[in-house]
Amino acid sequence: MRVVAERTPVAAIVNGERREAFVEPRRSLADYLRDDLGLTGTHVGCEHGVCGACTVLVNDRSVRSCLMFAVQVNGQKVLTVEGLGADGLHPLQQAFHEHHALQCGFCTPGMLLSALELLQINPTPTEDEVRRGLAGNLCMCTGYVNIVRAVLAAAATAS
Amino acid sequence: MNATWVGQRFARKEDGPLLTGHDRFVDDIPMHNVAHVAILRSPHAHAQIMRLDASRAAALPAVYAVLTGEEVVRLSRPQRGRIPLPASPSVYALAHDKVVYVGQPVAAVAAVDRAAAEDALDLIDVEYQPLPAVVSPEGAMAADAPLVFDEIGSNVLWHDTFPYGDVDGAFRRADRLVHERITIHRYLSTPLETFGSIAQFDPSTQTMTVWGSAHQPGQEINNIASALGLSPGQVRMIVPPMGGGFGNKTRPIYHILVALLAMKLGNRPVKWIEDRRESLLALGHAADGIMDVEAAIQHDGTILALKFRNIENEGAGIDFAGRHNLLMLSNLVNCYRITAVSYEGYSVVTNSCPVIANRGIGKPFMCLAVERIVDAVARATGLDRVVVRERNFIQPHQFPYETPSGQTYDSGDYPRMLRKALDLLDYDELLVEQSSARAEGRLVGIGIACGVEPAGSNLAYGMLISGPGQLLSGQGEAARVRMEPDGSATVYTGGIESGQGHTTSLSQIVADELGLHPERVRIAATFDSQSHPYVQTSGNYSNKFNGHDTAAAIGAARKVRDKLLRRAARMLEVSSDDLELGDGRVRVMGAPDRSLPIAQIAARAYWSLTDEAPDDEPGLEALHYYRNPRVRTPDAQRRVPVQMGFSAAAHVALVEVDPDTFEIAVRRYGVVHDCGKEINPLIVEGQVHGATVHGIAAALLEEFVYDDEGQLLTTSFMDYLKPSAADVPTIETDRLETPSPWTPLGTKGIGEGGAIVAPAAIASAVEDALQPLGIKITGLPIIPTRLWRVVCDGGTTYPRSREAYVTAR
Repeated sequence: MRVVAERTPVAAIVNGERREAFVEPRRSLADYLRDDLGLTGTHVGCEHGVCGACTVLVNDRSVRSCLMFAVQVNGQKVLTVEGLGADGLHPLQQAFHEHHALQCGFCTPGMLLSALELLQINPTPTEDEVRRGLAGNLCMCTGYVNIVRAVLAAAATAS
Repeated sequence: MNATWVGQRFARKEDGPLLTGHDRFVDDIPMHNVAHVAILRSPHAHAQIMRLDASRAAALPAVYAVLTGEEVVRLSRPQRGRIPLPASPSVYALAHDKVVYVGQPVAAVAAVDRAAAEDALDLIDVEYQPLPAVVSPEGAMAADAPLVFDEIGSNVLWHDTFPYGDVDGAFRRADRLVHERITIHRYLSTPLETFGSIAQFDPSTQTMTVWGSAHQPGQEINNIASALGLSPGQVRMIVPPMGGGFGNKTRPIYHILVALLAMKLGNRPVKWIEDRRESLLALGHAADGIMDVEAAIQHDGTILALKFRNIENEGAGIDFAGRHNLLMLSNLVNCYRITAVSYEGYSVVTNSCPVIANRGIGKPFMCLAVERIVDAVARATGLDRVVVRERNFIQPHQFPYETPSGQTYDSGDYPRMLRKALDLLDYDELLVEQSSARAEGRLVGIGIACGVEPAGSNLAYGMLISGPGQLLSGQGEAARVRMEPDGSATVYTGGIESGQGHTTSLSQIVADELGLHPERVRIAATFDSQSHPYVQTSGNYSNKFNGHDTAAAIGAARKVRDKLLRRAARMLEVSSDDLELGDGRVRVMGAPDRSLPIAQIAARAYWSLTDEAPDDEPGLEALHYYRNPRVRTPDAQRRVPVQMGFSAAAHVALVEVDPDTFEIAVRRYGVVHDCGKEINPLIVEGQVHGATVHGIAAALLEEFVYDDEGQLLTTSFMDYLKPSAADVPTIETDRLETPSPWTPLGTKGIGEGGAIVAPAAIASAVEDALQPLGIKITGLPIIPTRLWRVVCDGGTTYPRSREAYVTAR
């Protein structure tokens, strides 16, 4: 049997607020966000780093929160879907709504954060660049058509 | 009444919390003091359990309870299949004497958290005596095959033949016969949210509350209650929003397992969330099958009759046994005027994961089989693929059209649909491009496939297996509409939401009925058996929303509307026939100045009980149980309407196969769909996009692969390949709207069609691309390395036979 280690404090700046919890060293970032901080908008779809549902931004770069340990974000800046769009919907969220870019909505938080990072790096992507930029996030419902349209529309609105 | 909201591209009402991370899927429900479950699963495909000792796990301080197969047999009753089989094994939530597939649950632990529960699994000692396993359905039919369920004495659960029409006469009259053996593999839509269940038993009221995944709440309540020896009234089922379903979240054993642990723990909620590996390994797979198709044809390409012989691999389970076979009776002739058909089906058990419903269950395979044979007819006659289809189409004036197996197609215009799909991608231009690409040595192919999309099941079809005594039959849905004292409305139905936009669509429908804005119609989307009416056929499956959920909601809304108008008639001193509803007001027709706000009437209905009330009933609430009036039991010729409405679609695909690597790229993809009247075209297109990509992925990427010992080799998304945005093109769409004469709004189903037709279109496209190499496609999926091997071997048929279904790598 595995030895359960002492819990250690993890304090991170999550969605602009300092949050702290005591966690086992083996605690994943996803479990820390969901179970310790109550931020259940970050969804877990595969727990092996393929589906991208649990994508969050750590220091503005996308990470799979199922593959990262909570202790790794100690002192770091984390953005989850709950921190997107402080006043009303973020333009990406608005575009997803208008273009019917979500069905069951389970992939949506991760998809939004990957799209946010993509547009931060490349504010005027082509359709092909959007498709490749989102290739790390699986959606089982939409066939991606309206997700791609929404991201292109959000980029057009912003530029 | 003038419809104002139905038909509009109305952006979805349910999006808000999903976009901001505030929705509550089952794993997100805040629970106090919850015990977390981990499940120990069989590493063997077939083995005797010689000894199981969980005492070391149970002794851990972090562990609340352990459940073993021996206890499950003592504490619960065995499961029956959804279609009761003539001979049925006793299946429990946990294996007890032997295991029959890899991943079968063997024991379960409830502990303080999931990690502790998984730690405890390591301390459960199980001694297995491995037995020979069988994973191919043909192998399982061999006389010396190991028996999956010893008590049945055979691996063939069911076998039957349905001759419809003069098949032998047609085969005698035919100019020639065309035969193909078509195969399909195991795959699954894999909703991104896995299965979940939380159960809590209240010893004081003897009530079990279950929050969890379900498509058919009535059936799940019955499964849990009967397994635990409770009345359905003692089981409260709550179905939170589901992160996708596609028919996959229908495994009663998990709710029973969690409920048994909850009963042991008394008052402490018990929670199990399936992980992805468990899901791919053991939730369920769409059945693989081997179908021999024979067509009797004339020289002009007219198909006189079809004979099918299908061997369906049901895996090691009974929940869905027989269903793939019977549901294929709904699209046996697809879009074609074929008057004689015989269907012979085998349901065979093997040591593989039990099958489950998956978007279109059975029908993607039947569509593939028929469309492959139509292309084979074109090859055999030298006619164009389009011409053969046009020659055999059911014609627009022939609707309603009765097929040999007893389906009545309600409406459609297949010739125009196909023409429109060819125009959508500019077929003539594609042919020119293809011809110049071929001249350069490139392998470019155009795929064409048409398909009907059946919607709404008449569950009496199960009587074809179980006999006329089967309790479950017909199709219907229940709804309750309550106009609140503020004039808004709330709708409760037995339907389940898993992303299809039912909330918005129902709001649009009820808004029209009650003269409200859709934002004033609230849909109670989280099903709760204490508030939501239901029948045993309730739920979200078989594409039934369009004609059944809508009819139930309309029925209830019209009862409320009648009450409202009769109250208003008294208040306005006119006849209720002279009143109309709109913009939140009741108006006297022809006298626009005489009107009342609906909210004022609604308030009086609840507050002012000194008012004289219609039917002497205060309030404005109504319940409606809708039963499809066209359902019936099988007739003497065993013809039965398996499904109730028939949408259709034509797909055109442009693919390119790399001549060196045999990698297949889908360059363009067009769909013309016809689901009758569209409630919300924005949502309809979304369903078409998603289902079509499911179908494309099933044809080119997704496959559960077992080795000869029954070990599943594809247990992560690194081995079981799902398409990303970079793997698929934009799905181009256009539509026809031929309204159904039988649904209240003229609607038909749209959730499954893309997944039914796309595999056939991709097979057609790849075959067309490979024409210079003379290779025909008779099975899916089409995998580059296997294709390359066929080419290297100088073969003419893909796949090679032993790769047709389950294969060792």
